[in-house]
Amino acid sequence: MTSAHLSPMTAAVSTSLTRNATASRAHRRVAYTARRARRTPLVIAAIATLALSGCATFSDDGGFAPVADATQQRLGKSAVWARDDAASQALAKQRDDLLARPLDMDTAVQLTLLNHRGLQATYAELGIAEASLVQAGRLPNPRFTFQRVQGGGDVGIERTWGIDFVRVLTMPLASRVEARRFAQVQAQVTQAIVAQATLTRRAWIDAVAAQERVQILEQTSLATQAASELADGMARAGNFSAMRRTQENLVYADTAARLARAREQASAAREQLARQMGLWGQQLSFTLPQRLPALPATRPASADAEALAIRERADVRAARAALDATASDLGLTRVTRFVNVLDTAYRDNSATGSASERGYEISLEVPLFDWGSTRIAGAEARYRQSIDHLADTAVAARADVRTRRAQTLAAWDIAEHYRTTLLPMRQRVSDEWLLRYNGMLASVFDLLTDAREQRDTVLGYIDATSDYWLADAAFRESLGGGMPESSLSRSPTEATAPVASPASTAPSAPATPPGAPPATSPAAPPATSQPASSHQAQRHGGGA
Amino acid sequence: MTSRRRFLRDASLAVVGAAAVERTSLAALPDAASRSDASTAKPLAPPNGRPYRPVATLNGWTLPWRMRNGVKEFHLVAEPVVREIAPGMQANLWGYNGQSPGPTIEVVEGDRVRLYVTNRLPEATSVHWHGQRLPNGMDGVAGLNQRAIAPGQTYVYEFEAKRPGTFMYHPHADEMMQMAMGLMGFWVTHPKDPSFMPVDRDYVFLINAYAIDPGTRTPRVNEMTDFNLWTWNSRAFPGIDPLVARQGDRVRIRIGNLTMTNHPIHLHGHEFKVTGTDGGWVPPTAQWPEVTTDVAVGQMRAIEFDATEPGDWALHCHKSHHTMNPMGHDVPTMLGVNQREIAKKITRIIPDYMAMGETGASMNGMEMPIPENTLPMMTGTGPYGPIEMGGMFTTLKVRQDLPRDSYRDPGWYRAPRGTVASPWQGSTSALPSTHRPPASAGKTGVKS
Repeated sequence: MTSAHLSPMTAAVSTSLTRNATASRAHRRVAYTARRARRTPLVIAAIATLALSGCATFSDDGGFAPVADATQQRLGKSAVWARDDAASQALAKQRDDLLARPLDMDTAVQLTLLNHRGLQATYAELGIAEASLVQAGRLPNPRFTFQRVQGGGDVGIERTWGIDFVRVLTMPLASRVEARRFAQVQAQVTQAIVAQATLTRRAWIDAVAAQERVQILEQTSLATQAASELADGMARAGNFSAMRRTQENLVYADTAARLARAREQASAAREQLARQMGLWGQQLSFTLPQRLPALPATRPASADAEALAIRERADVRAARAALDATASDLGLTRVTRFVNVLDTAYRDNSATGSASERGYEISLEVPLFDWGSTRIAGAEARYRQSIDHLADTAVAARADVRTRRAQTLAAWDIAEHYRTTLLPMRQRVSDEWLLRYNGMLASVFDLLTDAREQRDTVLGYIDATSDYWLADAAFRESLGGGMPESSLSRSPTEATAPVASPASTAPSAPATPPGAPPATSPAAPPATSQPASSHQAQRHGGGA
Repeated sequence: MTSRRRFLRDASLAVVGAAAVERTSLAALPDAASRSDASTAKPLAPPNGRPYRPVATLNGWTLPWRMRNGVKEFHLVAEPVVREIAPGMQANLWGYNGQSPGPTIEVVEGDRVRLYVTNRLPEATSVHWHGQRLPNGMDGVAGLNQRAIAPGQTYVYEFEAKRPGTFMYHPHADEMMQMAMGLMGFWVTHPKDPSFMPVDRDYVFLINAYAIDPGTRTPRVNEMTDFNLWTWNSRAFPGIDPLVARQGDRVRIRIGNLTMTNHPIHLHGHEFKVTGTDGGWVPPTAQWPEVTTDVAVGQMRAIEFDATEPGDWALHCHKSHHTMNPMGHDVPTMLGVNQREIAKKITRIIPDYMAMGETGASMNGMEMPIPENTLPMMTGTGPYGPIEMGGMFTTLKVRQDLPRDSYRDPGWYRAPRGTVASPWQGSTSALPSTHRPPASAGKTGVKS
């Protein structure tokens, strides 16, 4: 609904009021015929219904389409609002299909959008807001009151045919406000989806990483168990003292404790993921991939991240909407300064023995001139304020994005260092131990100790990879949920073994592989520089 | 104490010395012959001077000389070298004229000998002519008998080889470190009379030891006791050439020990007599028949025997760990420990793991990858399977049909039929019964 639609309607209503209404005072009894009273609101209703037809109906999807579109655009996922049982069943079917395979990060996000009841509850906000919007665009129901007073031989009858007349007058404005409110709710719902997607991503990363840690500790436990049992055998054969044997037993016992702790943490992380996806009951038997996704093969560039954030971030959009609203309010004051009544009614009072009086009253609280200029000045100040607020929000958003991007790049560098340098070196050490064992230069206990010590490097790699994906999730969220084109084009490599498998051969040179991009500083300044933000904010504000 | 002025003077001298040695002075010096091949060179027949039967230096060579106005002039160059300890393993050592140990110097009793020593090492050195009677100032103890030879300098030693016998030469400056790096050599002074105690074959070698960690190339020069490479002429089995002899040859083996421990040298198949010690030749009446003779630290021994028994006879140090190449001294004993179930677990973590040591340390000829530049602990394959030796081990190969002057490896001995130990093919009932003492007999036996 736009003001172009509203203006003629407003004029029509005003005209009809002037012609038909008779001024009356409150509580004054007026002799009046019911026939006439009945006709007037009908006229108004007819005119208003004519003017408003097509504007105030419910949409087929409850206003969810823009939200679904935004979700698709930002997350690449479909959001569905189940508004009836059939839709709920369809969603359940979709959910079960998704649960049938190991859940990767994207699937987990998709599942969340379909299944999370909290999100579905949020979607309902749309329905509520749309109902308000539709209501605002419809004529209020006329009110009829009848009062009969009998006392002192005098019978007074008061009948009132009322309609929320100011509401009729302000209907276009209210529709506009409600439309704005509805858009706001849509934005909020979209934001809620993005936030929930981020929570799911984080939970998924934590759960998979925790599960990987368990695998590593299980391997470690196996190594220490073997060493411990071997030490038992050594003691039985008379080759180990009680002290040496107990030392090996002790290491195994210690690993068992660590493993138990890691399992508990993995279980908690999995529960957290289930909660974020809204799963319960039998759905909890979902499976997760063995490992975190491989690092992106190349260092994520994300040069246009700031521009994307300014376009998409919820806080920037909200500040911009506030500016639009303020600008709109400036226009709104030019109309409302003439009609500054919150509630008025067409009154039709009648009392026996008195002349019938008809009419309406509009109270003007403040003299027009002073009041109007004051309002305009204030609105303009608020308008300026909104511009500054938008600019401030944009600056902060840019800083946030840069910080997140720097964190993502640093995390990538660290994880890449683990992948290309530390893990191969660690593998090399293990290979050398095996060579020494082959040459009877080292014992099987050296091998097992080395296998145990591998743990720290591999756990470090899991942490680094998990840090990267967490930073990536935070970065996405800071961009409003989406990713810049430059980052989306990257192609993830085949999952290289993050768990140092002793079977694999280590690269001969533990240096950066050829073809790896030259590492640039994570602190490298973005291509677009800072001053753009205020321009953008100003331009937007000026165009409202 | 070295003052700063003195230091500067020495330093400048060193620089001048280095340049002078290369361009002018060395032109007047005898050629510093050099050799990098680690095979046993043919004995060097003397081209001039008094005649003698030359020695064969095991995996080494004899330094040629220049006769100048009746003086035999040798030129030794002390320098860093790369020595192949055995095929597959090279060591960064210090040596003379391209080798560690340096070339053998052979002179004749009464020869006037002039030795130029050029120092191409990064630190000062000197040469001590171990066992010789010579003027005190030629004895080579740096600081005591002479100024040390600074890097780049050439010193000259001159004396008469008075006493025939077996000698060594080695540095006497920063001695421990330089000898830990392999800086040493053999010296033989032949008797003036060629008919004195003649032999057909005269082998010489030095005993030396190194601590070279697996996967490295340079000795740990500060090691005092825990050496892992036990070598003869800086070679370890299977890198040591065999000593060959024609059946019936009179064979002499001269051994010098420059390690930090003693070595009981053991010969199979023959008794020998110790005919020479540090001080000279042993009178026949005093010669002990032996199959093992201990060569103590800093000692030289000459043993002699008639190589009457054809075959491939082991010759080795009888300290069994000296016939091993690098091994883990901290590896626990796995003997008697059943690893079968545990091995399954370990292979899940370490797929290439293979349980070893349960029944002994023998690898049964299995070859597995080991660290680079590292010799297997025990290795070598003979005609009947793995020899499982290392370090100070080689063979004396006695052959009937060997040409008189040949030192070439004749290959494995072909034993006549019926003269090789073989599995018993008959029934066990035909075996003599094995008598075990009653259980109580052991206790009483201990008491008796």
